[in-house]
Amino acid sequence: MSASTRPAPTTRLLRPARALPSAPRRPDRSRSQRKLSRAGWLMVTPAVAHIGLWTALPVLATFALSLTDYNIFDAPRWIGIDNYIQIWNDPTFRLATWNTVVYTFWTVPVSMAIAMVIAVALNQNLWLRTWYRTAFFLPQVTATVAIAMVWLWIYNPQQGLLNAALSVIGIPGQAWLANPDWSLWAVILVGAWQGIGIKMLIYIAALQNVDNSLYEAASVDGASVVRKFFAITLPMLKPATFFVLVISIIGAFQVFDQIYVLTDGGPANATTMMTYEVYRSAFQNFQMGLASAQSVCLFAFLLVMTLISRRATRGDDE
Amino acid sequence: MTTTRMQPGTTPAAVPKPRIKRRRPWKGRLLLNVILSLGAFTMIIPFLWMIATSLKSPAELAQFPPTLLPQVWQWSNYSEALQAAPFHLYFRNSFLISAGHTIITLVLGSMAGYALARIPFRGREWVFMGFVAMLMIPTYTKIVPQFLLVKFMPLFGGNDIFGQGGTGWLNTWWALIIPGGLSATAIFLFRQFYLSLPRELEEAARLDGLNEFRIYAQIYTPLIKPALATVALLTFQESWNNFLWPLLVTTRDDLRVIQVGLAVFQQLDSTSWHYLMAGTTLATVPMVVLFLFCQKYFIQGFTHAGIK
Repeated sequence: MSASTRPAPTTRLLRPARALPSAPRRPDRSRSQRKLSRAGWLMVTPAVAHIGLWTALPVLATFALSLTDYNIFDAPRWIGIDNYIQIWNDPTFRLATWNTVVYTFWTVPVSMAIAMVIAVALNQNLWLRTWYRTAFFLPQVTATVAIAMVWLWIYNPQQGLLNAALSVIGIPGQAWLANPDWSLWAVILVGAWQGIGIKMLIYIAALQNVDNSLYEAASVDGASVVRKFFAITLPMLKPATFFVLVISIIGAFQVFDQIYVLTDGGPANATTMMTYEVYRSAFQNFQMGLASAQSVCLFAFLLVMTLISRRATRGDDE
Repeated sequence: MTTTRMQPGTTPAAVPKPRIKRRRPWKGRLLLNVILSLGAFTMIIPFLWMIATSLKSPAELAQFPPTLLPQVWQWSNYSEALQAAPFHLYFRNSFLISAGHTIITLVLGSMAGYALARIPFRGREWVFMGFVAMLMIPTYTKIVPQFLLVKFMPLFGGNDIFGQGGTGWLNTWWALIIPGGLSATAIFLFRQFYLSLPRELEEAARLDGLNEFRIYAQIYTPLIKPALATVALLTFQESWNNFLWPLLVTTRDDLRVIQVGLAVFQQLDSTSWHYLMAGTTLATVPMVVLFLFCQKYFIQGFTHAGIK
């Protein structure tokens, strides 16, 4: 993602090739240039075809379909912006949007803070350092569905680990996922837990670029550990933090698997998300047009985030 | 290195001076280790609980408060789970699909990445800009038309030339392997890796009369083996863990991948937690093992790609 903002190398590489025809051996050069062009296109065509058919075309089709009423079985019917009007007036989609924002608002900063502290702690010569890193990163490499399955069992009201642990310290158990007051929080906990790993990794990479002499100078001046963290580490991690923030928001907005497994959007839509509404409209109610319009709304949110991220990453390239 | 800093008159014990200076007092280090261990342990509790549950008997599972470790280690749960649902079949399907995606990505992705990085062909900038634009497309903005493309794939699954009348690629290996076979991100990563190699190699190879495909296959690609491993692992992991797409395009039990198989098993039988956790363990173990053995490549890949 970060690299997506750097088209500069292409132009740099292209320039000599374009300058070449002015060289003395012109006819020869242009023939080899044609050969190169053919080879280049041959090698890039399968990928262009694949991405064109399975990504570019679907994106365009999503926008077109969002203006139709389409149930797969009958031909699509043009209805203008009616789907968007329906979405605007739909309390469920509004709730889904709100839930998505709440989910993002809690999972992202919480796991970012934890990830940063861990990254700072792991950025020194610690015995077992690799093992700690592995443990924190493990939830990231395992499937969200499998992980959600384990959490479903942990949240189980009768035999679950969570209620058992709470009963030890005298707190009454809950049907965490069936209670509308708790279900969103239960989902948020899983999301925050799983998201720590990748954020930690980006922070560790960023910390390796921080000049150690800054810390040594601060030590000479007698700065405390806490002071060093706030005066050196935090400012130095600012670009990384911004990058992590944006990619995490983009990721959090696309939460789906754990909702499917843990709550199915319930109880009473308390945990339904924008992605879940797209899924329901398209594949349970077969309202392909409405689902497309909903996914355009989701896309609009994400586009804003991506544009911010592009500006941010371009910022630290320079 | 440390000896260069040795000052006259210091005792031998103080020789590695810079290290001592940076080292925290042992109490601080111990505290840090304790906190990190607790945190790391908290992170892996769900995994430990998964394994523990998968080895308990139903009677033991019914107890409250639950036992921490199984009283009797019921290894037979695993073989019985395979009877309850064909997890070995799901496992095989997941493996075939992940391997398929990985091979397609490695071949087509590296070829395109190479061309974009090293061959100055006409229109290259436009192709590249197109791929960059596709990088930002979220799954949900293409999933509905992708499904329709699969459903109306002409001349497959009883469809006529206009894609009508049948089920197209639904419930076929095509739908599972082809659409997810390549991503703009992989092409992008490959381009970055090929760009980092020196230019002199291609010039020399072209002078020697090697054609472009051989320069790609025999000169440059062997030089980016670590990058190939990184992209391969990321691709494999992503398609092993993918859930939504196989859920949408398959309903036949013999085409189910392990993630969908787990979800279906849980919906059909919501009380056999020991079997479910045995299945879940089977679904997680390959990725955990792969990660433990290839950490370096995973970490490189995740730091490069940023997004899961």
